Amino acid sequence: MAEAALPGARLERRDALLGLALIAPTVLVLGAVIVYPLLSAIYLSLFSLYTPTLEGHWVGLANYRAVFGSSGFWSALATTAVWTVGTLTLQVLFGLAMALLLHQNILFRSLARSLVLFPYFLSTVVAVLVWRWLFNDLYGVVNHALMAAGIIDAPVSWLGTMPNAMLSIIVVGAWKFFPFVVIAILARLQTIPEALYEAARIDGAGPVSRFFDITLPQLRDVLTIVILLRTVWDFKEFDLIYLMTGGGPVNGTRTLPLIVYQQAFGLNQMGLAAAHAVAMMLVMLVFMLAYLRRAGGRVA
Amino acid sequence: MADRAEPGRLALNAPATRRTALRLLAGAGAAAGLGLTAGCASDDGRRTLRWWSPQAAPDQVKMYRAQIAAFEAGNPGVRVVFEPTSDEGYPAQLAAAFAAKQVPNLVTHLPSFTAQNYYARGLLEPVDDVARAIGEQRFFPGANDIYRTGDGTLCAVGIGNTAVDMFWYRKDLLQKAGLSAPPATWDELREACRRMQGGGVYGAALPYGMNGMTSLIFIGFIHRAGGQLFSPDLEVAIDSPATYDALEFFKSMREYCPAGASNFSWGESLTAFVSGATATGIYGGRVLANVAAQNPGIAGAISCTTYPTMSREIPAWTFNDFPCLFIPKGAPHLAETKAFAASLFAPPLYIDQLHAAPGHVLPTLQTIAADPAYLANPLIARYPAEIDLMTRTAAAGHNLGQETAKHRPNLKASEIISSNTIAELVQRVVLDGEAPRPAVAATAARLRELMRG
Repeated sequence: MAEAALPGARLERRDALLGLALIAPTVLVLGAVIVYPLLSAIYLSLFSLYTPTLEGHWVGLANYRAVFGSSGFWSALATTAVWTVGTLTLQVLFGLAMALLLHQNILFRSLARSLVLFPYFLSTVVAVLVWRWLFNDLYGVVNHALMAAGIIDAPVSWLGTMPNAMLSIIVVGAWKFFPFVVIAILARLQTIPEALYEAARIDGAGPVSRFFDITLPQLRDVLTIVILLRTVWDFKEFDLIYLMTGGGPVNGTRTLPLIVYQQAFGLNQMGLAAAHAVAMMLVMLVFMLAYLRRAGGRVA
Repeated sequence: MADRAEPGRLALNAPATRRTALRLLAGAGAAAGLGLTAGCASDDGRRTLRWWSPQAAPDQVKMYRAQIAAFEAGNPGVRVVFEPTSDEGYPAQLAAAFAAKQVPNLVTHLPSFTAQNYYARGLLEPVDDVARAIGEQRFFPGANDIYRTGDGTLCAVGIGNTAVDMFWYRKDLLQKAGLSAPPATWDELREACRRMQGGGVYGAALPYGMNGMTSLIFIGFIHRAGGQLFSPDLEVAIDSPATYDALEFFKSMREYCPAGASNFSWGESLTAFVSGATATGIYGGRVLANVAAQNPGIAGAISCTTYPTMSREIPAWTFNDFPCLFIPKGAPHLAETKAFAASLFAPPLYIDQLHAAPGHVLPTLQTIAADPAYLANPLIARYPAEIDLMTRTAAAGHNLGQETAKHRPNLKASEIISSNTIAELVQRVVLDGEAPRPAVAATAARLRELMRG
């Protein structure tokens, strides 16, 4: 019996080794691109460092005391939350509406489905340049159109005053990222059995009832995942806000990623920047855990 | 079985199995990897020099390429690559380059205080020998003094001068407003703007954005009120009546600037004047080339002078960023880099380089300033008084790196500008309507913190 069991055990060991060998590249890559930078950031955050040379000295938790003790961090966190909630809400509402529209049998549906992805594929720099021109008070279409319609008497500074600046970046963010929501929801819409709608119709359900009683419950899972993912991505959005307003006016649109950038490369304080980044990561961890829990639940 | 590939060989007509696909993928990956490696190593055997500059308008880049071609022709083993950066973006790009030890060989047209800052941190090569190779006697007397470091060496060489905050105005609009001369004081300027504003034209193009331009420009206004940001010994001196006067002036001018001035940086401010949207502007000599190219209709009506001061008793203060050339430490091929750096000052191509932005980048070599070939440029010939004024005021100009001749070099100037501390002060008082005193006090505290940091 022992002799008979031996080849089985050897085979099992070989399988285990093969498994390790197969998973090793993934672990190595993930370690290099996720674990190493993460540990580096935490390590750097314990030093006072001059960015260009990365020379400095150990300060322990002093950077964290500076971060959590500064009003700038908390105000930037609040600004980040306003931006994230604002743009995410618009993305979801607009994305859901567009997905429902593109799910209908409309003319040029395929073309429309392709075109709707355009903002998502457009480089942020290009998109921001275009939007800055649209918002320009001297030559921008937005002001001209509003003045022509008699809604405003004089050009409005869309990016230089509050709350206009925040509203503007929220709208541009929603325009740029809503296609992701469209793709995800549209894919799910196509898998909802038609029989459910037919049964509802037979029972006398109208379009609104069908939407709230069938479509929305069916979309619940995908919407949850989309919202969690987009929350994480919007929370750490940098380029769009930096290029649109630079964080101004005053600190009106200065989100946490902008502070990290300014500390690291404007003020050359890499340690403090790393502490801000780690603090930001802790906030995002909440969303990440929610996502993992949700994703894990679905797999189970 | 007959059409199966032999081990180690792929048959073109073999059915595509997963194993075959994996082999193909692995092969393609390896080939791509080898190709990339080969691409990095092979080149054509020439030594590559990287050159960064934020002065990268198409005409300027064209002239840089001509200078590069001339240098490469004389140095067949060297290849020079030009990489544009930007006025707002260079601090981040250079910090990242230094941290990654991937520095460019040569950087040009950055402000003098940037060079002093990096040199103090041991990040730049001394360039005394570059100055000697160009010919020290060819420079205007004292032209390179601002790059002289505490140890007596030169951390940079002046590649040009720029009178950044000249007061540009439209003679036709001034005349229409019943004014015979450009304003010399802030009161006169406000009155001129009030009279010229209307019919879709604003009075001024001052910046109120959260950016470097607002900081750099507002520092000039503190000086035009008779104040300073730091004392000559670099003690914070911003909390003074002059700063309050400057803030009050900036606030009073807001109604004469376009709504979008709250977000103005260099490009927007320049375009506002060039396009005719504002009657006055604040910028360097690039206005001349841009008006000629984009709005020639007003070319005959524009002129410039030094920006008005609070009163006639206060002398003009001109912001010159002293655009310079420096060599980051650690870049390879130092000898070739220095040779290339010196070659950038050689006529006739140096003249062509200056002509790419006539009046904006002014010569630091007195031999060039008097050269008939330089003076023959159509724009320089058309605006001799303006060019002459900008040349003189720029030479006598200052910046935060050394606010006056009495000041010690401020090695924190770069960080102060990048922190947007001054721009934030302007925005808090002008846009948010905060009381000046606590705002200035907070700014002073922040400046002290930055100086300590």
